[in-house]
Amino acid sequence: MLSYALRRIAGVIPTLFIIITLSFFVIRIAPGGPFDDEQTLPPEIKANLEAAYGLDKPLLEQYGRYLAGLVQGDFGPSFKFKDFSVTELIAQGLPVSLMLGLSAVLLALLVGIPLGTLAALRQNSPTDYGIMSVAVLGIALPGFVTGPLFALVFGLHLRWFPVAGWEAGEFRYLVLPVVTLALPVIAYIARLTRGSLLEVLRTNHVRTARAKGLPERRVILKHALRPALLPVVSYLGPATAFVITGSLVVETVFGLPGSGRYLVQGAINRDYTLVMGMIVVYGSLTLTLNLIADLLYGWLDPRVRYD
Amino acid sequence: MSQSEAPIALDIDQLSVVFDTPDGSLSAVNDFSLAIRRGECVGVVGESGAGKSQSFLAVMGLLAANARVSGQARLGTEPLIDRDVAELNRFRGVKLSMIFQDPMTSLTPHMTVGEQIAESIIHHLGSSAEAARARALALLEQVQVTDAPRRLDQYPHELSGGMRQRVMIAIALACDPEVLIADEPTTALDVTIQAQILSLLATLKRERGMAMALITHDLGVVAGIADRVAVMYAGRVVELGTVHEVLKAPKHPYTAALLASMPRIDDSGTGPLPAIGGQPPNPRRLPAGCAFGPRCAKADALCRTDRPPLVGPGPGEGTRSVACHHPLQGTHHSREM
Repeated sequence: MLSYALRRIAGVIPTLFIIITLSFFVIRIAPGGPFDDEQTLPPEIKANLEAAYGLDKPLLEQYGRYLAGLVQGDFGPSFKFKDFSVTELIAQGLPVSLMLGLSAVLLALLVGIPLGTLAALRQNSPTDYGIMSVAVLGIALPGFVTGPLFALVFGLHLRWFPVAGWEAGEFRYLVLPVVTLALPVIAYIARLTRGSLLEVLRTNHVRTARAKGLPERRVILKHALRPALLPVVSYLGPATAFVITGSLVVETVFGLPGSGRYLVQGAINRDYTLVMGMIVVYGSLTLTLNLIADLLYGWLDPRVRYD
Repeated sequence: MSQSEAPIALDIDQLSVVFDTPDGSLSAVNDFSLAIRRGECVGVVGESGAGKSQSFLAVMGLLAANARVSGQARLGTEPLIDRDVAELNRFRGVKLSMIFQDPMTSLTPHMTVGEQIAESIIHHLGSSAEAARARALALLEQVQVTDAPRRLDQYPHELSGGMRQRVMIAIALACDPEVLIADEPTTALDVTIQAQILSLLATLKRERGMAMALITHDLGVVAGIADRVAVMYAGRVVELGTVHEVLKAPKHPYTAALLASMPRIDDSGTGPLPAIGGQPPNPRRLPAGCAFGPRCAKADALCRTDRPPLVGPGPGEGTRSVACHHPLQGTHHSREM
C-alpha cells in the first residue's frame, strides 16, 4: 500500500510536467501579450518592458527559465499586478479558495451520501422522488443562477446571512457561497449513491447478511454502503475540478478575495506567469484529490489493494 | 427409519410463490409442502426453474420484492411467512440458517472472514468480541479450513472457492441452528471439493442433529447424504420418498427420466446419454393438467385435463408420495423414458 502510494505520487510529477508544458506554449499562441493595452505603448518602452521580463528571449529559453524558477518554488513576477510576485498573489487568495472548495466538497459528501442512501432505501416512494427531483434541479441550475438567488432570498429578504463579503472566513460569510458551490455536487453524489446502493442491495453478499438475521440498519451500513461508495469516490476527482471552476463564479458573485479571479483576470490580461501559477496550483490540487480517491478505493474494497 | 419419530423441525405447508413481473404474474412455486424432522436430511431435486430455491428463499424471507407468498412455513411452532423482518431476524441466522450456492460472491468483500463469522455470534448470542472470535476460530477448524488462525484475518478474495464455501458453512453454523438450508452448496466447486463439502455437511448433520434441506439438481449428491428426497417439477413436488425407494424404483415418469439422463459408471459408454425431450413448461402459462404431460410418453387425455394430486402412500406401501395418474410400477428404473 505504501509503495503503491509512493509510486502514484511519483507518477504525478510527469503529469504535472505535461500540464505545465502544454499550458506554457498554449498561452503564448494566444494573440496579444501582457503589454498590449488599449493605449498602445511606444515601441521603445514596450521593448524595454519585454526585455526586463525576459520576454524578448527565444520561447524555448523562456520556458527553460520558467521551469528552473518553478523547481525552486518561484512562480515569477506578475506582469499586471506590479510589485507582487505570483507566489504572493496566490498566497493571498488560495487559502480563501481552498477553504471554500474543501468545505463545499465536504458538505457535499456529508449531505449527498445520506440523501442518496435514504432515497435508495425508500425506492419509488415520495421521499425518493422528492430527493431525486431536487437533485436534478441542483445539477441543472448553474452557480451564477443559484448564487444571486440565495443572496437575494437568504441575504436580502430573510437577512439570515450576509449578502457578500468574507471577513476573514467568518462562518456566517461562508454559508451561502459554500452551499451554492456544493449544491450541484450534493445532487450528483446523492444520485450516484442511490443508484450504486440499489445495485449493491441486490447482490449475493447482502442476501447472506440478511440471512444472518442482522438488523436492516447493520446490513446497509456495514455490508452494503461501503462497496456502494466506490463510484462516489471515483467522482471526487472530477468533483474537485468542478468546484475549482465553480469557485470562479461563486467568488465573483459573493465578492470573495479568493484566487479564482486571478485565473480569469490573468488569462484576459495575458499575465503569463499568473495564469501559469494558477494552473500549476489547481493542477496539483486535482491530481492530489485523484490520488486520495485512488487510495480510498483500496480502503473501500480490499480486492483493489495494490502492490 | 429412526427419524420418523423425531419432532418436526421445519414444516412447510402449501407454500406458493408468485412473482409480479411487467409481463404478468409468474408462478414459481405451487402448493409446496414438506416436513423435515430433526436429524433428517431431505434432498430437493429438480431442473433449474423448478422452484427449489424460491421455496426456501420464501421460508427465509429473502425473496425479491415483487414476490407474493401464500401458505405457511413453521420453524417448530413459529410461523415464518408474512412476518416482519425484525421478527424474522429472531430466527434467521440463529435457528434457521442458509448456505448459498455461489461462494465467490456470497461473502462481503470488505470484511475479514473472522468478522463475518463473529458478527452473528455477537449480534444473536451477545458474546464479547473476543469470545466470538474464539468461536469463529473453532468453527473454521470444525469445517476443516486449513490454517484457520490465519484465515480469521483474511478477506474472502484471498481464499479459494472451496475455502469460501467452508466459511459460508461456518457462518451458517455460527449460532448452532436447528434447521440448515443448503442451496446447491457444491455446484460452484470442483468434484473433489464437492465430495469433501458433502461429507462435512453429513457429519455436521449427524453430530448436531440438525434438520437439513439440501437443494440440488444432482441426484448423485442426494444419494450420498439425503435420507429422503423430494422431486420438484414446475413448482410442485411430484414425488417424495426415501432416497432408497425413489432412486431405486421411481414412480413418477419425470423422476425416472431424470435418473435415466444421469451418466452411470457401469455404462458401456457407447451412444448418447438419454435426455428428456421437450422443454420445462413456461411458468407464465402452466398446462391445465399434469405439468410434465407434454414431455411424458405415458400421458393420455386425463393427464392433459386433470392435474394429478400428490397422493400419499397407502397402508403397507412404504413412505412414497407421487403425483401421477399412471405411476410406474417397475422395481428398477429403465432407460426407456
